[in-house]
Amino acid sequence: MDKYIRNIYRGVYTVLVGMRVTIRQFFKPNVTHQYPYEHDFERKRNVREIPKGYRGQLYNRIEDCIGCKKCEMICPVDCIMITGTKLPKGEQLWDSMNVVHLKDGREIIGIIEGDDKKIKSADSITVTNITSRQGPQEVIDRLGPSGVERRNQTFSGDEVSRVVTRNPVVFYLDQFDIDMSLCMYCGLCTEVCPTECLTMKDSLAGVEYSKFDRSDLIFKFDKQEMYDKGNTEEVDAAD
Amino acid sequence: MSDFRALFASPVFNMSEHFFPNINLQDKLNWAEEFIQNVVIPRLPEAVASHFPVEIGTVLVMFACAGVFVGVVPLLPLVLVLAERKVSARFQNRTGPMRVGPWGVLQTLADGVKLIFKEDFIPPQGDKLLFLLAPYIIFACSFAVFAAIPFSEGILVSDFNIGIFYIMAISSVIVMGVIMAGWSSNSKWSLLGSLRSAAQIVSYEIPLGLSILTIVMLVESLSMQEIVANQSNGVFSWLIFRTPFTFIAFFIFFISSIAEVNRTPFDLPEAESEIVAGFHTEYSGMRFALFFIAEYANMFAVSAIAVTLFLGGWEGVLPGYDILGGFPGFVIKSMALVFLMMWLRWTLPRLRVDQLMNLCWKYFIPIAFFNILGTGIWGLIFPEDTLISTAISCAIIYIGLITAYKVAGRTLAQKPAPQPS
Repeated sequence: MDKYIRNIYRGVYTVLVGMRVTIRQFFKPNVTHQYPYEHDFERKRNVREIPKGYRGQLYNRIEDCIGCKKCEMICPVDCIMITGTKLPKGEQLWDSMNVVHLKDGREIIGIIEGDDKKIKSADSITVTNITSRQGPQEVIDRLGPSGVERRNQTFSGDEVSRVVTRNPVVFYLDQFDIDMSLCMYCGLCTEVCPTECLTMKDSLAGVEYSKFDRSDLIFKFDKQEMYDKGNTEEVDAAD
Repeated sequence: MSDFRALFASPVFNMSEHFFPNINLQDKLNWAEEFIQNVVIPRLPEAVASHFPVEIGTVLVMFACAGVFVGVVPLLPLVLVLAERKVSARFQNRTGPMRVGPWGVLQTLADGVKLIFKEDFIPPQGDKLLFLLAPYIIFACSFAVFAAIPFSEGILVSDFNIGIFYIMAISSVIVMGVIMAGWSSNSKWSLLGSLRSAAQIVSYEIPLGLSILTIVMLVESLSMQEIVANQSNGVFSWLIFRTPFTFIAFFIFFISSIAEVNRTPFDLPEAESEIVAGFHTEYSGMRFALFFIAEYANMFAVSAIAVTLFLGGWEGVLPGYDILGGFPGFVIKSMALVFLMMWLRWTLPRLRVDQLMNLCWKYFIPIAFFNILGTGIWGLIFPEDTLISTAISCAIIYIGLITAYKVAGRTLAQKPAPQPS
């Protein structure tokens, strides 16, 4: 009889303990992410940091693109489409910017004072006109408070690991499209890019850019407004 | 109106006697006739009103009300299925269905439409007639139960004088449908599921009936409306607090009714990890939907019966005030019990067959018999329900719970002897 009653006690008690556990879960916030509608991953705790050098979405700083078409040529899946008009020989629009790679992993985009070809022998490098890359939030944070702000900075020779020299921009780019639905993220195009204007985003924005329509995955980077319009017509007429 | 009424009242044209010999229109359908006399006839033109056939109109009003009822009650499972999915999602920190309509409120509707258009597969080796019949039997029986449930003072289909007995009887027929479905499917899973279900429902009907008996002994009536009327003096006149024995009986009734409607932790008949879906494994399309609807309708029905018998039905918490009373109060109380069922479902694992039978035959049935004995003795000591008897009852329940809590703490501190498995 003692065992019988103890059995009832134990049954009721264990059920109540279990019910207490479940009702606590009932009032906890949910962990579901309404994924295609809800893109802000930072809100959720369980998102990991994207490592540096991650091959994310391709991004082109079109201002520095010289239109060499090396990326289009090397792309194994032909996801880059470039059309442009070459300027007459000897003419150029502007020079692309320097990219200074520092040893601590930072990338500074700006214009190096003096001759950037002989930079390796220099003791210190002064970079003027520093802008951040447009786009990846992490890079903007890395460089300073504002991406638009132009400022100067001096680095010692030991800090700098590599410098990308300036190249003349000799193309009017009519079209620079990258079809990210075809891209296989090999990163070959970023390696051949002489001005390092074509990069892969290593931020959340470069990982999560899903779209509802496949045609939305064709990203257009050409900016017609950066050309002087009168100049363009003149070149077209000459061509 | 005199001529026409006189013609009706004459022995030749007395509708109520000739066409409906067993229904006394004058007594039972008074409210419908009142509705016609007070609402319909004053709005009619003079010429029509004087010749308006009140008896036929009364019957039509009754039919209309029954139609509304039959139309509205099947919407209940629609709500309950969504509630189940949302509640279960909440217990697992999920959101549940979110896509169909705002917060997924139209999900069940979409599922229903999908099921209607699915192929209605009939196993070729099975017993076709029984296979087709089974879902209708279960469906009809689940909905026939609603005929006797008093949702409110005015909202009920019929106030039988054998209300609770009718409910017990009609819900027992469900097991027939279950066995038919299992047998006619010609599938091992279905057969195993249906036989488990039969064993379970038949076993658990005994403590269920015995728990109801304690109520019937106190109220001395089987009519649902009279049982509710007996609990009209506030929360302490609810039958669950009337004697300490009905307090125990409530829990036995509730747990047994969970077993009756085949829900976790007693869902052996449809244990998906063991026998796929039990007796409705072979069903698809609308027939499967009928099983599904019947299951959820049953769930609400047993909750509503528990509320009617033990928790005051549509009577409120305080006498004279309408707090938790009337139709909304009844639905809130029933939904609370439905929520309790869902809570239990997501807490407890499924019992083994022998554990299931152990619980019923070794624990519930002896305790239920003890309850009947206790209620009888209580009735001898307190023939009239007075303030003193209620106070003593509540005191005993309170002291019992406190003692149980204290003793349980001490008992559970000891480790149980390892049981032979």
